[in-house]
Amino acid sequence: MSRSGHRPFSLSRIGALSGNTFTELVRLKVFYFLLIFALLLIGNSLFMARLSFQQEFQVLKDVSLGAMSIFTSILAIVATAQLLPRDVEDRTIYTILAKPVPRYEYLIGKLGGVLLLLAFSVLAMTALFFAVLFLREHMLIAATMRETTGMRPEQIQEAVERLKASAFNAGLVPGIVIIFLKASLLAALTLFISTFATSNIFTVVVMVFIYFIGHLQSTAREYWLQEHGGGVLVKIFVAFVALIFPDLQLFNLVDDIVAGTAIPMALFAKTAVLGIVYTSVYLFFAWVSFHGKEL
Amino acid sequence: MIEPAVAVNNLTKIFPIPFRRTKLVAVRDLSLEVAPGQVYGLLGPNGSGKSTTLKIILGLVSPTAGRTKIFGRDSREVGSREAVGFLPENPYFYKYLTGAETLRFYGKLCGLGGRELKTRTAEMLQLVGLQDARDRRLGGYSKGMLQRIGLAQALIQEPKLVVLDEPTAGVDPAGSREIRDLILDLKGRGITVLLSSHLLAQVQEICDRVGILAHGILVREGKVQDLLSIENQTELILEDATPETLAQIAALLDKSQTRLIGQRHPQTTLERLFLEATARLPEKE
Amino acid sequence: MIRSALVLFFLALFGVLRLPIESRLSEQHRSAYFHQAQLELGLREQVGQLGFLAALSGFRSLVADVAFIQAHVAWERTEWGRVFLLFREATTLQPRSVMFWDMAAWHMAWNASVAAMNDSSQPNEYLRRKAQKEYFALGRDFLERGIKNNPDRPELYESLGRLYKDKLGDHAAAARCYERAAALPGAPEYDKRFAAYELSFAPGHEQEAYTALRQLYDLGEHERLPTLLSRLKYLEAALNIPLHERISPSEK
Repeated sequence: MSRSGHRPFSLSRIGALSGNTFTELVRLKVFYFLLIFALLLIGNSLFMARLSFQQEFQVLKDVSLGAMSIFTSILAIVATAQLLPRDVEDRTIYTILAKPVPRYEYLIGKLGGVLLLLAFSVLAMTALFFAVLFLREHMLIAATMRETTGMRPEQIQEAVERLKASAFNAGLVPGIVIIFLKASLLAALTLFISTFATSNIFTVVVMVFIYFIGHLQSTAREYWLQEHGGGVLVKIFVAFVALIFPDLQLFNLVDDIVAGTAIPMALFAKTAVLGIVYTSVYLFFAWVSFHGKEL
Repeated sequence: MIEPAVAVNNLTKIFPIPFRRTKLVAVRDLSLEVAPGQVYGLLGPNGSGKSTTLKIILGLVSPTAGRTKIFGRDSREVGSREAVGFLPENPYFYKYLTGAETLRFYGKLCGLGGRELKTRTAEMLQLVGLQDARDRRLGGYSKGMLQRIGLAQALIQEPKLVVLDEPTAGVDPAGSREIRDLILDLKGRGITVLLSSHLLAQVQEICDRVGILAHGILVREGKVQDLLSIENQTELILEDATPETLAQIAALLDKSQTRLIGQRHPQTTLERLFLEATARLPEKE
Repeated sequence: MIRSALVLFFLALFGVLRLPIESRLSEQHRSAYFHQAQLELGLREQVGQLGFLAALSGFRSLVADVAFIQAHVAWERTEWGRVFLLFREATTLQPRSVMFWDMAAWHMAWNASVAAMNDSSQPNEYLRRKAQKEYFALGRDFLERGIKNNPDRPELYESLGRLYKDKLGDHAAAARCYERAAALPGAPEYDKRFAAYELSFAPGHEQEAYTALRQLYDLGEHERLPTLLSRLKYLEAALNIPLHERISPSEK
């Protein structure tokens, strides 16, 4: 008894692949990292007592968001890099592709699993981060109330408002979304690299390289566009960097958000869309590369 | 004309070797057909192109020249694999999944779901005798158990064609026997089986047709009986023959052109002896 | 071989397509004051290896925080040279943190300067004063650069005004600073008042100061704080304002 006819795009197949990938990744030691992150957060908050509250919140946010950014970036690269090689080595890929599963669904499913993992991690870390922030804010408000018992109500109100503004700024959530999108971009790019890489390590090393160059890409781009001096060789090199590498600087918004810069929604939306475009394009490239690959 | 289950037409596969001028010709102008309901054995030593041919039939590798079809559909179409199950050589599955979860995963990939998936999973586990281990992670399975779960996932969607690459390699005689029984059971249900092996004696008894590959070329092809029978010889097996009867037969033969070449006690096989001897011991998995 | 060339080509094509979009987006980011820290070679000298690496990987502000904490420790040990260097690193890496510039200026112009003035190891008073003035200048420099990077924030203008007022004795300059602060969104209401006060202390600006203070007085009860009233009265006397225009003498 065979199915009624092959569907070229099946969400349930992709869902099965994504869910399976997610399960595979979750049962790795990945989640022990979350524990370390949690400890980092709480530990950091405790020894901050000697600084003023503005300083404390700034450091707390920088550490938490910085840890979130680096953790998701590392996770995206390391988790994705071993997906394809592992399947090929264990020959499980034959059993999957011998089913009526098109190769693009296989790739989408794999990336989907990684994105699920990243989303889950980001949510967990954000929850913890907000909880700690909320707790410290409340402790400090209580302390402030004690210290300002002689002052006028407007002044007390102002002090409390300033404290609250230091703790939660509106840009935190958009900033975290951008962190997630940057990680998903890196995951898609890693998937692409892994389709033609010779080994797991190769993929990771190349991705680390791309990560650093990606932060310089905007400088290269400006340089190239503004026709500065420099020989032909420099021009070619700079053009190469500007065209081939992603501009990762665009996704580093949290530094400035923490410093208190207000982020216009339009800007955030554009950056988010760019992140989604990058992810889709790299996934497409992964398919082009994987499409004819001999297994 | 009934559509053959598998049709291979002038298949050639050349692998370029990186950094070297020479190329590896894995399969050279291969043509064969597997009729529906047959058990076909693709035999040959290691490196003869058996695995490559199977992979091309399954669309995992693309041919350099020629084409392959499954039930009339080109192998390069994804839909051609709707009714096909594949068990690769020495498979590993996802270690962290249990037996049941593994079957459910593959079932979903075939488009099964809901209650049907549940029923099929239970059926397959029963068929391969792994119900007791269904909730144990595959990381704890023995090689024989992995082979059996592999067979179960190949059959999960009730395929019309099952492709097995070295199904009995590295499996102990008892497991090997079970797999061969299973193959015959599949044949009984009308399922076509295409298998590859280099353990010739083991597959001799279950294949209807064989093709023998050497260095990518099909050197022999046909029905097993036809290939193996020594045309001009006849075997008679007698039970409780007395020496007088034997003398009479010899005298009868003397008068004709038939020549008596040999006379001896037929032998059982070492395999049967082994299985009989070990059957008394409880099986441990 | 062909496949790799094709992939490279499409990557480059993708690069070309996104070039204008990303340039524009970068521009928009910059006008919203993101990424003020330009990655130039000069950066490397100012921030050291770790800082440069952090800038490359986008963790500038984390390293800036560490530098800031180290500066705090250095301050407790009165290692003024280190305090200066670490604050330079922190502000270079994270120029959008108003607090860094503010604290840097405070440590230079208020703490280091006092320490220099009271330095028992320096017998020459002239040299001590000279060192003090240099620290004032360093503090002012931090604030001015901070303002350049954060022209939308009133806090640094306020601090600069305070520096002019308390340390440099230049009330006119202080008044300008408070005026600029008052003009920015989110400025506290006392900035206008402080601007007017400073004007009133600046010789030669009495008329201007009087106009400003009178305007504030006319706004209502909430502006009629003791300092405002006393300065207003002082100016009324100094400028010989006609009696009928003066504020009621009963107000204190």
